[in-house]
Amino acid sequence: MSDVALMMRQRSLVAGKLIGLMLLAALVFVWLGPIILVVITSMKSNDAFLAGPFALPTEPTIAPYLTVWNALGFGPLLANSFLYASAGSALAVILALVPSFALSRFDVPGKKLIFGIILTGLMLPQQTVLIPLYDTLRALNLLDTRIGLIIVHAAYGMPAQILILRGFMTTIPREIEKAAFLEGATDFQVFWKVILPLSVPGIMVGFTLNFIAIWKEFVFGLVLLNSEANFPVTVGMLKLNSDRYMAVFNLPAAGLVISQIPIVILFLLSYRKLSSGNFAGAVKG
Amino acid sequence: MAEVTLERVEKRYGSYTVVPHLDLKIEDGEFAVLVGPSGCGKTTTLQMMAGLETISSGRLLIGGRDVTALPPKERDIAMVFQSYALFPHMNVRDNINFGLKIRRTPAAEMQAMVSEVAQRLQIDSYLDRLPKELSGGQRQRVALARALVRRPGVFLMDEPLSNLDAKLRVEARSFLSKMHHEIGTTTVYVTHDQSEAMTMGSRIVVMKGGVIQQAAPPLEIYRKPANRFVAGFIGSPSMNFLELEVAEGALVDGAAGIRIPLPDSRSAEVARSASPTVVLGVRPEHLHLLADGEGGQYATVFQVEVVQHLGNEMLLDIVAGPHRAIARADEDARVREGERRTFSVDMDRVHFFHPRTEVNLAISG
Repeated sequence: MSDVALMMRQRSLVAGKLIGLMLLAALVFVWLGPIILVVITSMKSNDAFLAGPFALPTEPTIAPYLTVWNALGFGPLLANSFLYASAGSALAVILALVPSFALSRFDVPGKKLIFGIILTGLMLPQQTVLIPLYDTLRALNLLDTRIGLIIVHAAYGMPAQILILRGFMTTIPREIEKAAFLEGATDFQVFWKVILPLSVPGIMVGFTLNFIAIWKEFVFGLVLLNSEANFPVTVGMLKLNSDRYMAVFNLPAAGLVISQIPIVILFLLSYRKLSSGNFAGAVKG
Repeated sequence: MAEVTLERVEKRYGSYTVVPHLDLKIEDGEFAVLVGPSGCGKTTTLQMMAGLETISSGRLLIGGRDVTALPPKERDIAMVFQSYALFPHMNVRDNINFGLKIRRTPAAEMQAMVSEVAQRLQIDSYLDRLPKELSGGQRQRVALARALVRRPGVFLMDEPLSNLDAKLRVEARSFLSKMHHEIGTTTVYVTHDQSEAMTMGSRIVVMKGGVIQQAAPPLEIYRKPANRFVAGFIGSPSMNFLELEVAEGALVDGAAGIRIPLPDSRSAEVARSASPTVVLGVRPEHLHLLADGEGGQYATVFQVEVVQHLGNEMLLDIVAGPHRAIARADEDARVREGERRTFSVDMDRVHFFHPRTEVNLAISG
């Protein structure tokens, strides 16, 4: 290859890389832009926002956060959301554990059919179950109660938990289970002492995903609750969109940031555990 | 300790029969090795003994007790798996005492039992470590300790050494043999490695297609293989097989230039085949390379195709017409690839197999 050809080839490689980087930058802007905008807006006064919506805050302030927290009662809203997300996810995981174990390890007759029926629960749009759920909760005197919404979230989240946990348990080497049987363990002991502890990463994945889903959930909270005292943060945030705050942008932005913080913390806490290998040393060298 | 008896045991999966009919008695204190190629039914047989596979028909007795329908925990057995199957979330101590805890053994007694077995297997300094913090050899010892600690009547071992590297495997082999001598527990050991079988077993059970081909002590299997399959499976390199015509008191293949006279002591055996041909089975060490110009009564000429140097000896790939064989030779023997050389067949130690039924004619009589 001549020097000129080599130089042209190098140039085209550089140009290719440059285009790639520009595309990446554009993608980063599309993904991070709105988040950055919300964070910036939440740290400005409303006047500063109106003067320059995309400008960086010249005098950063936490006043919007304090206003949202104190005036709109964000504390109880977050506490409610935390209760629904944690209790709903925990209940969904607990309910899913035994069926997942059975579907992953035993030759249950009609196993595929049962699994298929459970999975249809994943495909049901919320709108199709709203009215039956509303009627059921009313009949059980659970309408507008925290426990009612927790049960709904647990039931609605369970199919996804079974999908995740069954998949996870299937990956646990069978010989570990056989070894436990040979050592004299009963089915329950195998589940309790071996399969369950080894499923912790799967449980955490399921719990985290369900926690996020419930945290973001809006429709069930809106329809099945009436009292403000029971509202989760998503429903409570509606107040920020009411007339009083129509021309105010920094308060909804601060509310959005506050409402997302627990999710970010949860992700940071669970990330390492989720990605760690749990079966190291179980089989082979 | 206990003896293990399989009576007319069968294993079927739907219409597919894996083990058609198995009769085997493993004596109390014996180290029996089930050996055979992949798919020969050896692991299925072991798993039936363990209770991890159901027995389709027949009976299994352990220590004289019919355990055919009993779950694993009521069979007085312990098993070491090929993959060790340690509980990854438990430390070595909890792995070892898992079965004892399940059986609600008192804490003090349990501690004493774990200490004893850990000392014996030299893993007492790793008791608080997780399996992932151990080497392959140490994990294998933990798996062994878990099996040993309950003092079962029978040990079942499913290729426990196949995940170790070559050096560790040789060490582990002698370690297991020594342990068996000390403890004397009946052991059923499954392997596809014939050298493991030869070195460890007090009796080798060679299987093929779910059927026992021969069950005998290692040297007997080596010296008196029941059929061509056993002869070819046991020994490395494998026994050579040459199908030759029987004519005028000799084994002949005119086109290949082979004519080996039959000694009188073996002619009756060959006559039993009642067939115009017989399969001559000769191990590589019983094909002796002769010096140039040297001849012999049972000598025949082969072309040397490949010379493999092993350091202490050579393996010669040799051919004569359609017949291929491997011969052992001293490392200092002078031989080159492509040469035609004379080899003497040790006719006292060869085997004759029926060309169709493949049975050893010395035994079939």
